[in-house]
Amino acid sequence: MTKQEFTQELRNRLTGMPPGDIEERVSYYSEMIDDRMEDGLSEEDAVEGIGTVDSIVEHIMSEVPLTKLVREKAKPAKKHGAGWIALVILGAPLWLPLLIAAFAVVFALYIALWSVMIAFYAVVLALAVGAVVTLPAAGIYLSSGNPAGSLFSVGAGLILAGLAILFFIGCNAMAGGIVKLTGRALFGIKRSFIGKEA
Amino acid sequence: MDNQLKRGLLDVCVLAAIKNEDSYGYRIIKDMKPYLELSESTLYTILKRLEAANMLTVRSIEHEGRLRKYYHITPLGLSRIAEFKADWEEILSIYRFITKEEEA
Repeated sequence: MTKQEFTQELRNRLTGMPPGDIEERVSYYSEMIDDRMEDGLSEEDAVEGIGTVDSIVEHIMSEVPLTKLVREKAKPAKKHGAGWIALVILGAPLWLPLLIAAFAVVFALYIALWSVMIAFYAVVLALAVGAVVTLPAAGIYLSSGNPAGSLFSVGAGLILAGLAILFFIGCNAMAGGIVKLTGRALFGIKRSFIGKEA
Repeated sequence: MDNQLKRGLLDVCVLAAIKNEDSYGYRIIKDMKPYLELSESTLYTILKRLEAANMLTVRSIEHEGRLRKYYHITPLGLSRIAEFKADWEEILSIYRFITKEEEA
């Protein structure tokens, strides 16, 4: 890949970021390639040493705040004519509620997901409380001359405690999964803001 | 290594690379290479962060018919290095205490 091709592809892939930012980054990498070539590397090798455009875009995306991308996307493009703007304004009673509803649905689903998680943790808590309560129960059975009942209580307690621990481990794994998924979703949203539409 | 710790370390490393004389991106990476591998993308982020924190200034100088950015350390950048060294003196003495306990 030549330097020209590299910078062009990088520029294309970063479309969606503020133009000033794009130029600054492209000129930074371009300077790096020039300096590598001056150091004796061939153009091909110099470009290769910088890393793939993919990895660079990935790196940039991981640190550019989402708000910056959204702000850039929200800027009106110059090519929109009066007719388009009129349509957007006149259509506002239609698309605005739909947009808000869409956001509300996504938000509600997310909250619901965590509610289920909280419910699972409540089950864990219930099991743990149940396990603890069997101890005094066992004592009461024993003092009232019922060793069989006491033994049953201890056994039930152990089973409850075991279930509580198992459920707790499962719940933690699930909560971790949701957190990871949230991160992935945010990354996906960022990705959708960047790069030229094919 | 802890990410926060690494970030702080890298910042000071880059400041140290321009401490004695102004330098440019490629040279900073080359100078640091024997000590730690730094990618171009990572360096960009660090330089931006340090510039925003007023620890260095940037100016473009013509070189072989093209522009090259030179980074210059500010007094604030120098005091960051001094602060880092003082912090590490302290950490080292704690380290000596910890390892002494282990030997005993």
